[in-house]
Amino acid sequence: MRLFLILLAFALPSAALAQNQVALTSEVFVERTVTDASGAARVTLEAPGVVTPGDHLVFVLSYRNNGSAPASDFVVSNPIPDSVVFDGTESPGAAYSVDGGRNWGALSALAVRAADGTSRPATLADVNSVQWRFAQAIPAGSGGQLKFRGIVK
Amino acid sequence: MTASVLAAGTLCAALPAHAAGTLAGTIINNSATATYDLPTGGQDSVTSNIVSLTVDELLDVSVASTDGGDVATSPAATNQVLTFRVTNAGNGNESFVLTARDNVGGDDFNPSATSIVIDSNGNGVYDPGIDTVYVAGANNPLLAPDASVLIFVLSSIPAGATDGQRGRVDLVAVAATGSGVPGTTFAGQGQGGGDAVVGATGADAEDDGFYAVSAASVAFVKSAVVVDPFGGATRVPGSIITYRLVASVSGSGSLANLRIADAIPAGSSFRAGTITLEGAPVSDAADADAGEYTGSGIAVRLGTVAAGAARTVTFQVAID
Repeated sequence: MRLFLILLAFALPSAALAQNQVALTSEVFVERTVTDASGAARVTLEAPGVVTPGDHLVFVLSYRNNGSAPASDFVVSNPIPDSVVFDGTESPGAAYSVDGGRNWGALSALAVRAADGTSRPATLADVNSVQWRFAQAIPAGSGGQLKFRGIVK
Repeated sequence: MTASVLAAGTLCAALPAHAAGTLAGTIINNSATATYDLPTGGQDSVTSNIVSLTVDELLDVSVASTDGGDVATSPAATNQVLTFRVTNAGNGNESFVLTARDNVGGDDFNPSATSIVIDSNGNGVYDPGIDTVYVAGANNPLLAPDASVLIFVLSSIPAGATDGQRGRVDLVAVAATGSGVPGTTFAGQGQGGGDAVVGATGADAEDDGFYAVSAASVAFVKSAVVVDPFGGATRVPGSIITYRLVASVSGSGSLANLRIADAIPAGSSFRAGTITLEGAPVSDAADADAGEYTGSGIAVRLGTVAAGAARTVTFQVAID
């Protein structure tokens, strides 16, 4: 039964995408420091096929309202991949979760509970999901980008 | 395809944390979801494409001497053991090529490294005939990420080395896949089919171990004080002779199981209860303490005595 559902889910995406009013794409770049001919270090963004532990990644989410009506209560969520440590975001308005998306808030409002019952303030490395909740509707035909950073564990 | 999508949601959570980093061959998937209200009422959600990254194999190694300090040796000694720990600091299974460099600077003599031995039974001690002799290329130790192995380097010490001199041997470990400037890539040679990339260590590490020639020697000095029955120092029947034996260790290092034995001179008799070691009495009986009267002489066990130290034993006899 479960397998059947998964297969069904696979048959759907192309049709589902066509019906969606909003398009959302995800890209990942890796920051590499290269030394040019003059010996100066320069940081470049590359689209990687492969990465190694310690690589700095930049995740870019692009959204666009392709429909004819505004999209209101627009919320974008991105669980942080398990082999990646969250390293902050450059896009304002982000809310964080350290419990897989059950609770959201500013980092300073979140705490991590240890096995012995004590809790400590959450840090960037504890974040396992990031979310942007837009106060204003996305007008038809407009879009934007959201960025966050991570480091390969 | 199905597998990679499942990994995005579920399998990634089961990956173990790893000191050397994410295991080579791991696939990192990212996707985002957006929800919004439809103008017709209700809510719609859209999931982005999945971006997949493969984690490459990082080639890193560390070598560390595990000897607490210089290893004591003596001139012309053979099969003298230095111990090193080789650790796979990368994130994939990797074999390492080992080399012992015995002709290096920073020392007083050049030991001759005769063999490299793998601690194959893992007991931390060189076991001749049991641990595996390393043959370059034939049995390069294969280590999982974070795993390590003890390596013994066996050397001969030149006969001309003198007391206090030090000899250095370096153990070098290099990733079998390749090494070089950090960032050097070996396409398609990484675990899991990705590339192998040289990490911060250059995939080439070494550490040094030292032998120190320790030539300790012992000198015994025996002296006697005579007290005659009349308060003088003549040797007549009834005179008491106090013998004083001093064992002095010189050179460097220490001498183990050092023992003093002295016979009672003919024409004299041992005086019971007069043996002392460092001024403290030692019983005549052969028991748990350091010495005894044997019937024909005295024997005192001094244990291990370091170079520069001395031990003093006294006993008395009476002239018959």
